[in-house]
Amino acid sequence: MRIYHCHFCSSPVYPGHGIMFVRNDAKEFRFCRSKCHKAFKHRRNPRKLKWTKAFRKSAGKELTVDSTLTFASKRNIPVRYDRNLVNTTLNAMERIEAIRAKREKAFYKNRMKGNKERQLALDKKLVQDNPELLRMREVEIAKKLTKKQAKLEKINDDDDDDQAQAQAQAQSDDQFEISDIESDDEDMESMESESDDQEQQITKVKQKILLKNRRSKKKFQI
Amino acid sequence: MATRTQFENSNEIGVFSKLTNSYCMVAVGGSENFYSAFEAEIGDVIPLIHTTIAGSRIIGRMSAGNRRGLLVPSQTTDQELMHLRNSLPDQIKIQRVEERLSALGNVICCNDYVALVHPDIERETEEIIADVLGVEVFRQTIAGVALVGAYCSLSNQGGLVHSQTPVQDQEELSSLLQVPLVAGTVNRGSSVIGGGMVVNDWLAVTGLDTTAPELSVIESIFRLQDAQPDAINNSLRDTLIETYS
Repeated sequence: MRIYHCHFCSSPVYPGHGIMFVRNDAKEFRFCRSKCHKAFKHRRNPRKLKWTKAFRKSAGKELTVDSTLTFASKRNIPVRYDRNLVNTTLNAMERIEAIRAKREKAFYKNRMKGNKERQLALDKKLVQDNPELLRMREVEIAKKLTKKQAKLEKINDDDDDDQAQAQAQAQSDDQFEISDIESDDEDMESMESESDDQEQQITKVKQKILLKNRRSKKKFQI
Repeated sequence: MATRTQFENSNEIGVFSKLTNSYCMVAVGGSENFYSAFEAEIGDVIPLIHTTIAGSRIIGRMSAGNRRGLLVPSQTTDQELMHLRNSLPDQIKIQRVEERLSALGNVICCNDYVALVHPDIERETEEIIADVLGVEVFRQTIAGVALVGAYCSLSNQGGLVHSQTPVQDQEELSSLLQVPLVAGTVNRGSSVIGGGMVVNDWLAVTGLDTTAPELSVIESIFRLQDAQPDAINNSLRDTLIETYS
């Protein structure tokens, strides 16, 4: 039994798996699964699909020219059985596999070399070109803080007084508004309407202050 | 010596066996009668190998070979190739050929010095033939048929070609191959010479249906009984005319 390689993706095709297509010029095409077979029928070029070995090799992502890769090939001229030869071959196979793995690792390392520096440089450039990105972080921190404060306020309110029902209702409305603002940050129109609301509800001073803070930050950001 | 035998009620001996000066291959699963027809003649002198090629028993049509080497088609499995290598003597080269026309026995007709091949065979295959079999390669047709291996049987002593080969072609081929040729039939009038018989320099095995005149033509052209090829023109001629008239 020979373990063939998929014509499309180069993965091994074990006995009883996959499908074989024989063209009318007697050339055999073996496929590991229907995915590869269908891709072949659609006349896709395996070099252009990122998941195939052909792509990885042609794009220089894998070791292509190496002496360790030449051992695994179909041979047309047989050699007479020799116990010692078979023994040494079996031993050599392990050794070669180890060497190949090592070289592949080195190749990968070499390929990835300098990626960190390159990424860092890119990031730096990005920040330089878009300085507002950095303030975003400040805004986020501030937002978190206000949220926390609002929560704290609410708890306090619940604790210390049994105010009028209407007032509580108003307060809860207010809370909703705050959360609304938080949810749609960029929406200018909603913000304006909320500022109108805010003027109407002068009674809840603390909340108002909070909102004002938030608004000022937002404007800064914009 | 020319003998007659049968493989599973079939006369096509050249299909199920391959005979050269240094080895003989037979298909597996035949009767003991078939094998003993070979064993009785070649004895211990030439190794007799039971094998399949590409999982099939039509080994004679799938492979081409002579004293120096053996060519098998690309469909031959690794196991079969290994078996052949382990059974055949070391000095015989074996090679698997990546050729579109995979019935190598039908497209190659060779003795130890020259080979006739199908006109459409690939250039690489031609080179491999010249290299492995150590022969001069000629692209030829016999009687207008491209399958030279099927319609011709060749040994170092002579050759038998399709019965409808014109005399002019015969002479041309004969000068090309440097052996005497004769047009003839095997198996009671079959023109498929290559498929109907196998021959080397000492032995010819034909189908059981082969008539006595056919056999005597074979014996004389391949010089299997120290007969001269000229015998056909002299002594044998009368017999032939008598038989076919």
